[in-house]
Amino acid sequence: MSLFDNDAGKRRLLTVEIPILERYNAERDEAFRIKVVRQGKSLVLRYRLKPMHNIFELETRLPDGYPILPPETRVMTPLKVCPHLLDGQTLCMWRQGSTRETSRWDPAKFTCVFAVQAAWRWLACYEIWHETGEWPMPDAR
Amino acid sequence: MAHLFQVGAGSGGMTVLDIVCRDPRITHVTLIEPDIYKPHNVIRHQFPPAAVDRYKVDLAAACLLERRPELHIDTLRCSLMDAAMTERIDTAVKTCDIAICAADNEPAKFHFDMLMRRHKKPWTLGEVLAGGIGGLVHWFQHGNGPCYGCVASHLRRAIDTDQGRPPDYAAPGGIAPETTIPASRASIEVIASLHAQITLQLLTHGSTYAPGFTSLLFTLEAVPGIFEEAFRTYRFRIARSPDCLICRPDESPIDLDRAVDEALARLNQP
Repeated sequence: MSLFDNDAGKRRLLTVEIPILERYNAERDEAFRIKVVRQGKSLVLRYRLKPMHNIFELETRLPDGYPILPPETRVMTPLKVCPHLLDGQTLCMWRQGSTRETSRWDPAKFTCVFAVQAAWRWLACYEIWHETGEWPMPDAR
Repeated sequence: MAHLFQVGAGSGGMTVLDIVCRDPRITHVTLIEPDIYKPHNVIRHQFPPAAVDRYKVDLAAACLLERRPELHIDTLRCSLMDAAMTERIDTAVKTCDIAICAADNEPAKFHFDMLMRRHKKPWTLGEVLAGGIGGLVHWFQHGNGPCYGCVASHLRRAIDTDQGRPPDYAAPGGIAPETTIPASRASIEVIASLHAQITLQLLTHGSTYAPGFTSLLFTLEAVPGIFEEAFRTYRFRIARSPDCLICRPDESPIDLDRAVDEALARLNQP
């Protein structure tokens, strides 16, 4: 399945992802709404989050293999080097792997807005870590 | 006369294929496998060491024809998701009577599921757990049953078979390498044989097949924190999830491209 290459992907966009993005945007000020940009076979979500005191700019890319492959979220605002942060300021959220057991991403249950919410939670942890030096979810796997 | 569509001729897939194709009802096989037989495969595979560097799909066809020279075999040296082969693969699925998924990666399993639902075909999937501590066999039928998304989602929550260590977050900079613990030939044979048996029963009973589970877990090792005992079965009756984002019925418009373009433009309006 891929988002733009076949009917299944397009249906997923039309019936799952876009409606939930519209619901997300409907409840927010213009500055915090998600904008979407089509980049080849991927869809990129651009948005801002303010989990606590600071505003962060983010990009979540729905790759060609989405939703089977998980979304990839990068923070565009410069961050300090911290736990759970990969190259290019990509957030480590799904513990990716090729098997069902090694990925926390569930394509049957999760949508792109879930990824946005997960990024919000990650940033809230980051802000706490920034102040205290302790990542608040030590058992994160 | 039955047409079998199979993806995967690895060590497990080849065993399933061999057993299922000994059934005289199977007269036509379509087999998809992109890989070449490598030296590290020899220890677990039924192909001989001398066959190293040849395409697995060709070796599989030769094995089958040795026993069943009358078998009609179509081989495709490609990935199931090869865009250039979409039409040919779709045609093969359309004409098959039963299908076997012996792929070892999640994207292929979801793609296989999509093809089967599109053409309303019964199919089975076998999975040997890392280290050969056990395995799962799932069967699927068009109708009210679960899709692979429903099953994967349920099992992700129901059982923990992951023995891998979490990544070292103290050293960010990359995704932790995946740890793969090879299964033994013996454990692969056990699970593949179960897979073959369930496939043949599904072929026999068709829409009336009701073994009392949709997924069968068979443990082969006792592993602290994962399996209390070896040689124990767990029968999962996984229902179709009404919330499943993979198989839920959709009412999308006919002109999908235009609808997608309009919806994306609508999202960006102030």
